[in-house]
Formats: sequence, structure tokens, C-alpha cells
Amino acid sequence: MIPILRSLKKNLVKVAIATFLVWSVPNGLDGSSNLVQAQIDNHVSQVFVEANQRMVKVYGASAGRVEGYATGFLVSDDGLVITTQGVFLDGNRVRILTSDGVEHAASVIRRDRERQLALLKIDVENASYFSLADGDVGDKGDWIIAISNAFKVADKEEPLSATLGVISLRTAMEARLNRRDVAYKGELVLIDPITSNPGAAGGAIVTLQGKLVGMIGKIINSSDTNTRLNYAVPTSILKEFVANEVAPSKSVTSKQSPVELGIRLFTHGGRSGPAYIDRVRRGTPAQRAGLKPDDLVISIGGEKIGTVKEYEQVISGLTVGQEVIIVVKRGIDLIRQPITPVEKKP
Amino acid sequence: MRWFNRLWLSTMWLICGSLSAQETHPGDPSALSRQDSLQAMLLTSKAVRQAIGSIQPSLVTIESFGGVSVVQGRIGGIRKQGEGNTTGIIVSPEGHIVTSTFNFIQQPPVITVITSDGTRHVAEMLGRDDTRKICMLKINANREFPKPDLVPLDQLKIGQWAISLGVGYGDVSPAVSVGIISATNRVGGRAIQTDANISPANYGGPLLDIEGRLLGICVPLNPQSQSIGAGVEWYDSGIGFAIPLAGAEELLSSLKQGEQVFPAFLGILAMPNPDGKGVWIEQVVQGSPADQAGILREDVIIEIDGVEVRDMMQLRQILNRLQAGMEIELTLIPDETQEPKTLKLTLDRPPPPKGEPAPLEVPKIR
Repeated sequence: MIPILRSLKKNLVKVAIATFLVWSVPNGLDGSSNLVQAQIDNHVSQVFVEANQRMVKVYGASAGRVEGYATGFLVSDDGLVITTQGVFLDGNRVRILTSDGVEHAASVIRRDRERQLALLKIDVENASYFSLADGDVGDKGDWIIAISNAFKVADKEEPLSATLGVISLRTAMEARLNRRDVAYKGELVLIDPITSNPGAAGGAIVTLQGKLVGMIGKIINSSDTNTRLNYAVPTSILKEFVANEVAPSKSVTSKQSPVELGIRLFTHGGRSGPAYIDRVRRGTPAQRAGLKPDDLVISIGGEKIGTVKEYEQVISGLTVGQEVIIVVKRGIDLIRQPITPVEKKP
Repeated sequence: MRWFNRLWLSTMWLICGSLSAQETHPGDPSALSRQDSLQAMLLTSKAVRQAIGSIQPSLVTIESFGGVSVVQGRIGGIRKQGEGNTTGIIVSPEGHIVTSTFNFIQQPPVITVITSDGTRHVAEMLGRDDTRKICMLKINANREFPKPDLVPLDQLKIGQWAISLGVGYGDVSPAVSVGIISATNRVGGRAIQTDANISPANYGGPLLDIEGRLLGICVPLNPQSQSIGAGVEWYDSGIGFAIPLAGAEELLSSLKQGEQVFPAFLGILAMPNPDGKGVWIEQVVQGSPADQAGILREDVIIEIDGVEVRDMMQLRQILNRLQAGMEIELTLIPDETQEPKTLKLTLDRPPPPKGEPAPLEVPKIR
């Protein structure tokens, strides 16, 4: 049912554009609405046709329920192809179909588990390809076309599926989204066309000027919302990967001495309960900061503390002697205090 | 500001139109080049960003602390409520905030709200409307908040732009989705329907028109069910709902006073009538409005408030339009006399759910 609804959405968006144009165009041009629609269609279609020449269908091994296919695109005229990392690359044969329907045997050059990217190579010459820009391509609210072979609907030389939508948000991973959800640091481009479908990963997101915004990422569930994310890995990260620059490593967890604030939390409700202070030990940073039993810890160092478990996680990331701001709720007041963690006594 | 936006948009159009008329197709103003149509689309993106900017002072991030789900297992179609922050909209200068009841399924003991200037406030929960899945929060800040502009109901048109916003993905800046209004009168006239993405990432957030005025509050709804998480199974599907606040002044002021609105409960277990029209009553819940009005097992309901009840589906639709506390006129054919008779009864609120509500699974895509 869901895929049907999603394709319905696509068509409605087209209607929307037409409607907007009809309303916006001054009176004298009203009669031209059909023409305007045709022009828009024509524009999107030209961008698509150009982009589709650079797209490929990737087929590999399927394992159990995991699909053995994905989308990819060319990033050099001699046949470098970017796609998503996945088990479909594990078999001894990976096949790539270029937009002309010709099948090529692909060799896997590089795979990156952290960024979930793979670089493949096929033997072609003078191929049409996407050049990878350094900076950000596309802004929040900009129209984009998502091009992919979701559900493997296109076969042989058939063009891939295009979906129209907008960029929802460019968000920095280290600051936002739950760290468990996506492995890499850096930026993520959230989009509003539905791309969280099998086979869509490795597809291209392009602007109306035909510029590459990023690569459609594989299906992940956001633990913030418990829904599937529709997103792209931005072009700048693809460029680093192709250039074989070292992935910015995940937060370096150098061996730190454990810290404490001198707070004992109320844990009778288990670790998923709110972080109410049960006891403040004497002579500790917490006492110096004036914290009291029954205060509710709201945030530490800008990180929200929703539960006892989150408190423990955030505390384990603090550094001895490095002052942070703690916010607690007392009655209906919010109290902000600087607090300096000390080394945990055994 | 608004008039300026509009003027600016239409001016751009005039320029586009006249340029193409002069340069590409002299004498034929109807011919627009590919470049013009591209310009038009690029301008929409600009308008979307302006709309977001104009609502931003009213947009808030809601944080919940603690709370254990009152619903075991799945809520609607998703496994459980996410752990992230949720969205709300300030609707009064004094700091009243409308958001979705979906954001509080876990009944958090403490709720805080971060306003657009980055300050955090403790929020108090006032009234809630479980038929619309919206609720009212209140914060005490020593300042006045801007009141968002509402789109009057008579200006809603199918096909007009609809922009949904929410901070559920965690960033301070809201995530945006653009679509159109798909229908203006849904779920018993309570909601408008849109194809912009509506999901836990923006439940409680605003649905805007292209000028940044408030069309409604994004909520999960399902016309066939009033259970607590119903409608989540349709997240990001192209079928989304928003509750318009225009013309709802009475409801909003009762929510500000802490009043609650519950779905309608009649108290019958019904089956299709094997002998024709109407619904056949299999069971009457003890103490329910139906019981108190003297409705008996094996009676057949044929009319509610003058509307013919042809089948089960229609009964459900009629009840979904109503809410607890409303008085209705119900016509039935008693099993004993077979003489149609009309009763008056007052609808009650449903009894608290025992265990979990029937889960609505998302179809699995392989």
C-alpha cells in the first residue's frame, strides 16, 4: 500500500507545481497554464535525461532477505562508479548495467563501512559522469530530483525512477541525530522524496540545474522519531571517499579517567526514568554548584538528559577539570550552574 | 512584510513574463522559455524559505523527561515512540503552545520547551482534545510572543501549497517538506489533508501556506480509528493530516482552561444486520449511554441524528464525527416490537483501554 501512496504523492506534486504557476502568473498569462506545465515537465525531464545517462543499475549477491541490487552512478569518464556499501558486493560477481543497457563486470575498488560507500570500476570510455563538487550543493527548500532503481522496477536499458521533492534539512551529524543511527561524522542531507526503499540506495539526488547534491543512503531508522530516514550522503563526502582521503574518524575515545560530579540519582524506576537527584555527596562539584536532592537534571554541557541512562552516557564523555553547564529543574524553576567534573574515586 | 513578498513574487513574474515576451517570442506573451519555468521553480524554493523564516519565532522544541509508555509494544504502525524532541507552536502572546498529544504518549512527568531564542522553560500541560490529537501547553516567560497568522477556513483550496515543519530530527533548524493540500474536510470535518510528509518528526509542528501563515497543526489521524497512536502507520505516505486553528477559538479557549475532549462512546458491539439495512446490536456495554437509554441486544440501529445508518462503516464514520458529551438522536427498530422508535442519549467517553489497542502494522516491504 505504501509504495502506491508514495507514487501518488509524486503525481500530486506535479499538479501542485502547475497550480502554483496558474495562480502566480499575472492575469494576461492565464491562458498559458498548459504551456507552463509543459515547460516545467520539459525542464525536469531534460535534467532527468541528462542525469540518467550517468546512472547505473548494480546487481550482486543477495543474502536471505537482503536485496542483491542497488543503484549507482558514474563519477569519472573511465568508469568509476559510486554506490552504497552492502552485502550485495560480497559475491564473486558484481554486474553493472549502464544506462544503454550494456552489462559490465565490475571490480570493487574500495569499500568504506563507516561512510557506507563503495567504489566500483567498469571498463568504459568517454562516459558521461557527475563531477563531485567540494562545497554544499542545494539549500533547504530547494527542489531536487531523486533518481534510483527502487524495487528494481527498471530493467536493462529502462530509465530509472525519478521522484520530485525538496531538501528538508542539512544537518551536522556530530551535533544532531542519534549517533547510533549513522556511523559517520560530517553532514547529512535530509530530503522529502521517499527514498527509504529497497534498491534506492546508491541513487543520485540532483538539483534542477542537474548538479549532484549527494547519494541516496541505505535504509536507516531514526531513533529520534522511530521512522525511516530519507537522506543523502553529501557530495563533499563522496569526493573525499573517491580521493581516498582518510575518513574523519569517529569521536576519538582516548582512554580517559572516569569522572564524577558527586550526584547519586534516584534509580528505583530503572534507568529509563527521569534523572532526579537522590543524594548530593559532600565536598563534591555537585555540592559546590548548589545542587539539591529532588532536583531534576535537564541537561549537561548542552546535551539533553532525558533518562538516568542518558545521564550515565553523558557523564562518561566528560573530562576531568573541564567546566560544563548543568541545568536542573527545581520546582518550576530552571537553574543553570557551571560544574567541574573531578576524577572518580575508586 | 507579507504584501512585500506577494508584490515581489508577482513582480518577478511580470519580469519573467515580459522578458520572455520581448527576447524569445516577440508578441506572444504566452510563450515561456525553459529558463522561465526554471526560474519559477527556483522562486518557489525562495518563498518556502521565507515562509519558514516568518513562522520561526512561534516554533518551539519540546523535550520530555522520563515517562514509560502507557502502550506496550507497538504504537500504531511504528515500534514505539522515538526518543527525540518534538515540535509545538506558540499560539498566544502569554505563551500558550499547541502541539500533538502523540508527543506525550509516554506521559512524561516533566516537559520543557525551548523557544526560538534558545531559552528553556518548564511547561505545564493544560487541556487536550483526543479526537483531534492536539493539546495545550503553557510556559511562563517574561515576554510576549508573536501570534501566528492563521489561514481563514474559507481560503483553503485543494492544490495550494502546504509546507510541513518539525524539529523531530534533532536539529535546531526545522526539517521541511513541501506538498499541497489534498482535501479540506477530513475526519469528521476536523482536519485538512496534505501530501507533504507528516511524521513523528513534525507531529505538533505547523503546516504552512506559501506565505508562512498557519494552515494547521500536523497530527497523526486515521478516520477509521480513534486509538491513541492511530494514523502513525501512514507517516510519510502522502496521506497526512493537520488540524486548522482558524475558527477553533472556542476549542482553544476551553483547552487553555484545561478541559478535555474525548472521542464518542456509545457502548454497543454491533454487527452487520443480516436482514438488510442498519446495524444489529450484538452486545450492550453495562452502564454505557446505550444501556442507560434502554437499547437492548438484537435491536437494529437505523438512524443517528437524521442520518441513515446503512452499514458498520457508516456507523463508525458518524461516531467519529461526534465527541463525548454530545447529545444525539438515535432511531432503532427494537427486536421486541419491530416498531421504529427514537431515543435521545448523551455520548460518553470510552472506558480506559485494557492492555494494548489492536496494533496497526505497516505493510512489510521486502
